[in-house]
Amino acid sequence: MKRYIGLSFVWLMLLAVLPVQAQRPTRTRQFPKMYEEKPASIVIMPPINRTNFVEAKEYFYTTLYVPLCEKGYYVFSPYLTMELFRSESAYDSELYFDGNLAPFREVTGADAAMFTIVKQWDRDNLNGKLRVRAEFILRSTKTNETLYHREGLVTLDTEVDSEGDKPIGVLTDVLITALGTAMQDKVKAGRRCSGIVLSDMPIGPYSPRYGADGNEPAGASYVEVVE
Amino acid sequence: MTRLLLLLASGLLLCASCSSNKPLYGWYGYESAAYRYSKRATPEMEKKLLLEYRKMVSRPKGVRKAVPPGLYAEFGFLLCQTGHRTEGLAFLREEVKAYPESEKYISRIIKQLEQ
Repeated sequence: MKRYIGLSFVWLMLLAVLPVQAQRPTRTRQFPKMYEEKPASIVIMPPINRTNFVEAKEYFYTTLYVPLCEKGYYVFSPYLTMELFRSESAYDSELYFDGNLAPFREVTGADAAMFTIVKQWDRDNLNGKLRVRAEFILRSTKTNETLYHREGLVTLDTEVDSEGDKPIGVLTDVLITALGTAMQDKVKAGRRCSGIVLSDMPIGPYSPRYGADGNEPAGASYVEVVE
Repeated sequence: MTRLLLLLASGLLLCASCSSNKPLYGWYGYESAAYRYSKRATPEMEKKLLLEYRKMVSRPKGVRKAVPPGLYAEFGFLLCQTGHRTEGLAFLREEVKAYPESEKYISRIIKQLEQ
């Protein structure tokens, strides 16, 4: 009897884990070019802002850096590349989005360029919710092909205390106090959106799990999250 | 045998639940300090950012226990801009040593600063 209960428990636990893995495509299948080309270094392109909210560009530009480093890639500091893009009149990524990325490889040595298109940034004044929609496209600087692509719509309750929500990098009390509520919401929104949408991006070479995540389930190419 | 299977299943469950990773790096208060400095480059903000850089390079944390990519370079660049050229250039070279893939870009910056 004891043995029967034990075995049943084992099966129940396996059933709890396996279906989730089986339903979704693996990362290798969803992002085959990432695993073929194996990019190691990424340059973050200045985001393309298709909203009326002018500051969305800067909120996304700097908040992508930490999540991409944490994925295990070498990421060129956006604070340094920003200067380069401005001096080379390359601050408008839209001009390069469908073009040849070889010059960026030539100048920085980056294997891939991360493009962000901010598509929606609005606040529902009735319930205080902030909606942010962004598309992330990682393109090879060798082949110009898309290696990774994902889009997400994140709805954030901006009245929620940020203590309960600590993504990579952690929004610290210092930041909360210093930036004031309005800016805090926007920084948090940009960071949270990037963190959620990039969560299933294949792992880079500086992570100890590099090369071992190919069989993990990939998320849908479009994700909607309400927090 | 049952015990072995139980152990195996528990391990699987644990792996599935702990797939959220531990941070690779320790960022201290870098993100907020860097963002605030980019918005308002006052001497006070600069001091705070330099302090965060110092923490990150002297006491690297996280799974890798290493300074995050690009950070030696950022720190070095800011030091050069604030008159600490020798120390700044040393940190820029440290970036290349820690992350050889940065050589092309960082060498370009070093060259510009040395002119």
